[in-house]
Amino acid sequence: MTTKNKSAGVNRRQFLSGATAGVAAAALTNPAAAQQGSSQAGAQLAAVTPPSAAAEAMEYDVPEGYSAEEAREYFVRHPGSDFMVDVIKDLELPFITTNPGSSFRGLHESIVNYGGNSKPELLTCPHEEQAIAMAHGYAKVAGGKPIGVLVHGTVGLQHASMAMYNAWCDRVPMVVLGGNHFDATERRSGVEWSHSAQDAARVVRDFTKWDDAPLSLQHFSESMARAYKIATTPPMGPVVVIIDGHLQEAEMGSQAPTIPGVAPTVPPRGGAAALEEAARWLVEAENPVIVVDLMAHDQDGVERLIELAEALQAPVVNQAGRMNFPNTHYLSQGSGVVAQADVILGLELYDTWGLLNTLRDRVHRDEQRIARPDARVIDIGVKDLFIKSNYQSFQRYHASDLSIAGDAQETLPSLTEEVRQQMSRARRASNSEREQRWRAAHAQTRARDLDAARYGWGASPVSTARLYMELWQLVKDRDWALVSNDSLQSRWARRLWTIDRHYQHIGRAGGAGLGYGAPSAVGAALAHRAHGRLAINVQRDGDLMYVPGILWTAAHHEIPLLSVTHNNRGYHQEFMHLQRMAARRQRGIDGSSRVGNELDHPAIDFAKVAAGMGVWSEGPITDPNDLRPALIRALDVVDQGEPALVDVICQPR
Amino acid sequence: MLAKPCTVARALSALLILMCVEVSFAQDADQAASDGRALFTANQCWQCHGYEGQGGAAVRIAPTLYPFEAFARLVRHTNLMPAYSPNVLSDEKLRQIYEYVRSVPEPPALEDIPELSGD
Repeated sequence: MTTKNKSAGVNRRQFLSGATAGVAAAALTNPAAAQQGSSQAGAQLAAVTPPSAAAEAMEYDVPEGYSAEEAREYFVRHPGSDFMVDVIKDLELPFITTNPGSSFRGLHESIVNYGGNSKPELLTCPHEEQAIAMAHGYAKVAGGKPIGVLVHGTVGLQHASMAMYNAWCDRVPMVVLGGNHFDATERRSGVEWSHSAQDAARVVRDFTKWDDAPLSLQHFSESMARAYKIATTPPMGPVVVIIDGHLQEAEMGSQAPTIPGVAPTVPPRGGAAALEEAARWLVEAENPVIVVDLMAHDQDGVERLIELAEALQAPVVNQAGRMNFPNTHYLSQGSGVVAQADVILGLELYDTWGLLNTLRDRVHRDEQRIARPDARVIDIGVKDLFIKSNYQSFQRYHASDLSIAGDAQETLPSLTEEVRQQMSRARRASNSEREQRWRAAHAQTRARDLDAARYGWGASPVSTARLYMELWQLVKDRDWALVSNDSLQSRWARRLWTIDRHYQHIGRAGGAGLGYGAPSAVGAALAHRAHGRLAINVQRDGDLMYVPGILWTAAHHEIPLLSVTHNNRGYHQEFMHLQRMAARRQRGIDGSSRVGNELDHPAIDFAKVAAGMGVWSEGPITDPNDLRPALIRALDVVDQGEPALVDVICQPR
Repeated sequence: MLAKPCTVARALSALLILMCVEVSFAQDADQAASDGRALFTANQCWQCHGYEGQGGAAVRIAPTLYPFEAFARLVRHTNLMPAYSPNVLSDEKLRQIYEYVRSVPEPPALEDIPELSGD
């Protein structure tokens, strides 16, 4: 890590704290603030004042052998990017993931030397897609607190775009800073032209909440505050601020920008009248069912949902965009309960229509209703509060019977209170019978899942059930977190592990774009590192092939993470699609589905790939009896604060 | 009373024939299962159902619980999996696959797998 050379003189931040702090500084540089009164100005403004002659002399002595004119030509006293670092520090972004680029070289240098490479600390990623996905994984663990991403002009944002789409679909905040050179007369020939754009953020605008391209440092300061506020207000999402190369590198001169600070926005909540109506429907229902997807921001969301579900004794179907509900709670039920529901409460659903209907994958795609025809649907969520047209991430339209705009986690306490108030004694008495019914159903499901896991137990390739249960034996008594999604491994973690904390399951990618899994796992592991948690990543082979360089990032920055590959040597989903097409066309599928889909011949040796990136590794494991000893060895490495990878040749799912 | 030698011989012959038939049937079944495994692999049934038919993207099919007619109907006429017509998978081959999934042995009992029977 490069550290700031403190012997070089009084830097800007030190100058600010040592010379004229708070009110005086604000008054000097912002007459309007001075008129507002000293306490308010002092609290809201951290002003930048011109250095005194003495400080200037200390900091910017003309180096020996240079004339004053040469010094002005060669050296910059107060680069604009130093102030940008002040702004970023004020936002308390702890990390900035980046792949280096010349369009932000000024800010890069300021972060490292002026900012001391601490809060934010730069994390090196070999690809912008990884940098974005790391930020994605981090924010999901950090309760929606974002980190920054610094990307190169044009090509950097192009590389970043897919991962930003995932974050957009997944409603995850991040502050992306993109380099650019606005002034054509200031661009050097070559890259500074080809990596600049009239409208640099256009390439990602369809899937960002907001972007700006500030032309002054004051503009930058205010745009960053606005960007942060927008990104972290539900529905959350990525934002972009384009930073001009000249603005970063030029002398601040007489500019005296201020930092406005961020006043958090209280998330939107559902209206009282609508919640009263919703509660009435739920209380009166014979078979109310709660379905939840992108809801819980943190453990509070989980606890609030438990309160509502228990008040109603209504089953909860967790679609696992987030960890919303403990899988060990007796009200945690499978999606089959939707078919019997007379009232369905949807909380931050990604796809309401798809919950109630299905479109069969046949030659003629016909719809079938899954839910009862008379089932009423209450939708609570923020999806209608912010939506864009082009990319179809919003799913098919459904006219819910009662649609309530509001952040579901914020809205739940009011709804639960309303349910309790409306619940009659007779209705409350029925809760006991309902509870017994759901306890029995939950126990049956648990027994079925355990029984299902024994099939293929001794198989080679290793069954995914075996993989998860061997892991579970080693982690169940520790403070662990699964930083990958088990949906393509038959959901074994959610079926057989005990998941009762929000941070223990990270949910899905959002936009289903491959190349998310490995870097988001590393980003999540980074967030867990601060809490000393064991981060576990069951890593799909196809996903890792997009972004293998993230292994190096984990090693370089000493991010402890246990990765276990679910290596089925192919893009398995696509195998099945090709089989379906060949069967539909009656052409046979003897081996043809391998073409274009397999990751074999030669088989990829992920242990060697990881070793080449500086990550301890072992494998390939083909015998299930070899798995646990390898995992134990890998855990020893992770416990030393480093990443480790065990390559396991697995069944398809 | 002792049986006549010719009667004993006839009985032994009949028994031998029966045993041969049984062995032959067993061999046929083994062969069908072996051929069926090859077809199970070649036709990529394992992509959805797992190499052991234990399930995965689709339901468990081994050891099969269905009679052949039900099994065949699920393969030929289904809303879930792609319909495999006789043009791509003959009745004979389908029968061999069925013999394979029927031959897959039961896994260990739950209580014999500590990882599943413990916590």
